[in-house]
Amino acid sequence: MSYQTTSQFYSSRRQANWNRNQNTVAFVSSVKLGPVAHTVLIALMITVLGLVYLTQATRATGYDYEAQKIDSQIAELSTKKGDLEVENARLTALENVQNSNVAKAMTTPAATDYVR
Amino acid sequence: MQLSFQKGSRSLILGGLLLVMMAIFVARLFYLQIIKHDDYVAQAAAEQVKPLTIPAKRGLIYAMDGEQPVQLVMNQTVYTLFVDPQTVTNPEKVMDVVRRVAGGNLRPNIDKLIAKKDTRYQIIGTKLTRQQAELIKKEELKGVGFQEMTQRVYPEGGLAAQTLGFVNAEGNGQYGIEEALNDRLVGHDGLLKSVTDISGVPLTIGNQNINKPAKNGDNIALTIDRNVQAYAEKALAAGLQRSHATNGSVVVMDPQSGKVMAMANLPTYKPAEYTKVEDAAAFNNPVITKPYEPGSDIKTFTVATGLDRGAIQPDSTYVNTDSIKVEDRTINNATKGQTGTITMQTALNYSLNTGMVTVAQRLGDGKNITLDARRTIYDYFHNRFAFGQKTGIELAGEQAGIIISPDDQEGNAVRYSNMTFGQGMDLTMIQVASAFGALINGGTYYSPTVVAGTVDTNGTLKPASPKPSRSGVISAESSAKLHQMVRTARATFYAKNDKPGYDVGGKTGTSQTIENGKYVDNQTIGTYLGYGGDSAPRYVIMVEVSGKGLNLQGNKDAMPIFTDISNWMIDYLKLQPRG
Repeated sequence: MSYQTTSQFYSSRRQANWNRNQNTVAFVSSVKLGPVAHTVLIALMITVLGLVYLTQATRATGYDYEAQKIDSQIAELSTKKGDLEVENARLTALENVQNSNVAKAMTTPAATDYVR
Repeated sequence: MQLSFQKGSRSLILGGLLLVMMAIFVARLFYLQIIKHDDYVAQAAAEQVKPLTIPAKRGLIYAMDGEQPVQLVMNQTVYTLFVDPQTVTNPEKVMDVVRRVAGGNLRPNIDKLIAKKDTRYQIIGTKLTRQQAELIKKEELKGVGFQEMTQRVYPEGGLAAQTLGFVNAEGNGQYGIEEALNDRLVGHDGLLKSVTDISGVPLTIGNQNINKPAKNGDNIALTIDRNVQAYAEKALAAGLQRSHATNGSVVVMDPQSGKVMAMANLPTYKPAEYTKVEDAAAFNNPVITKPYEPGSDIKTFTVATGLDRGAIQPDSTYVNTDSIKVEDRTINNATKGQTGTITMQTALNYSLNTGMVTVAQRLGDGKNITLDARRTIYDYFHNRFAFGQKTGIELAGEQAGIIISPDDQEGNAVRYSNMTFGQGMDLTMIQVASAFGALINGGTYYSPTVVAGTVDTNGTLKPASPKPSRSGVISAESSAKLHQMVRTARATFYAKNDKPGYDVGGKTGTSQTIENGKYVDNQTIGTYLGYGGDSAPRYVIMVEVSGKGLNLQGNKDAMPIFTDISNWMIDYLKLQPRG
């Protein structure tokens, strides 16, 4: 890519009161893009943006499946926890406790004293 | 060079055609996208956005074990096993597996159900556990599926069945606390509304998603103590067996708070098997739903009224002739022989009707049960002791009972003379037991309650706000006198039955029943109303036993049940003997 100087910058420096240390030369690209190229470029940009959107949307949906899996696991563990709580309650129910070997081995105290 | 179409050229015609077509497309698109926009958006949403209900969990019900809440009613996930007969490819294997894993949960004719090829859905098993469902799922049987559901489970079996009630197939509470507090127990379902994929998995895309979490029902803790309840049920069953009675009820309350510690009834049932109950009467809780003529237990209330109004003292005397005339009726004592000049304490000890009618007369002009006397009795019985009114206990089906006002035509002197010894009015046991608590606790009426509070997810009890109480139902002085009189009434005959050193008192009741509008002598209800404690009353127990065609007595049939529970309560509450 090459650049060329513009004459107006070169010739009008003093007239325009340019200050010191200020660029007075601008380079203009020699490559010119026509309307077709512009259209193609815009189409490409839209395509890229679309792909970016699709990638993100797919990734978000992927998270949904992960979340769904975790929700299922939570529900399953919750069910298991509930079952265990029911089992625990059944095992500690009065009837079970009364029929346990520990309870059967208990004896009635012969005498009771009270702390006053 | 300037390009231009020639007039009438094919290019111009083609251009024109294209323009027309474009115009049609634009018009059509305008119609579809602008005019019909809302319709198509709605159609798309109907297909893509699915509302999913997040079911709320029904609240658990706890009983107390001393100070600790313990689960009495819980929820468990169970599975309904179904088949699609058209999809089942190997019926023999299906039958073999399900019989091996869940034989007890299967319907009897599963081979016929699976063979119904003209149907797509046949339930072949119910209430399978998670383990059973997982074992069947592992076999990957084609055409076999599961539906998840929740059912109530009762770790303590039939304990406190009538207090609990049950939950029917529609998920509604029936009877007991399940019905009375259904709104609090049921909670509120949540809603998940979102775009789903073909498998129904909710996706986060879309801008109309709603995620409203479910609000689970309250976990209710009852004041029922499972140990007291279990012992009351056991003692009641033993008592009914001794007396051959068919029906019986016991209520145990804390007279210092109105909390019900036990409420036992026979016959009873198991809430988990409510569908097997043949007589729906077993669902009722007679303690609150069956008003009856309470009989001589009420004499304690008559005496309390007399004491509080200053009409009598425990040592006030009257002449007992074993009968007394009220207008054109003669009222006799059931226990005869204590004739002569006797005290009110003796009248209470021997449960003499004449003594109670005398109290009513002394509330009037001394000789008649005047309108003023009747109004006084009504004020105490109805307004102060809350007889004939619902107590507001948190259980379904409570009845108010009946007590006739003296301003009513039927509220005459004869009726009020009968009311002094427990006839001519219908009360529930909970009314009588609650009011009795006020007589012996210094005069404060506590509304009975079965709700101790709510239990959070950590199992911590958050106590309920105390229910309203009324002090000064009778004066503290009158309460102290009555307390002593009731203690003496029991000690006179039954002191040997009680653990020595404790404060135990009570009153027997034997009520006649009414058949075809007339009192009959061959069918009586036996009751006992009493309390126990150490330095103060700690429990009130009321017992009732009855049976068709049975003559049941308060002292012989109900009182031993009271004694059994009372002596056990002294140990359970770790009460220390006085002195």
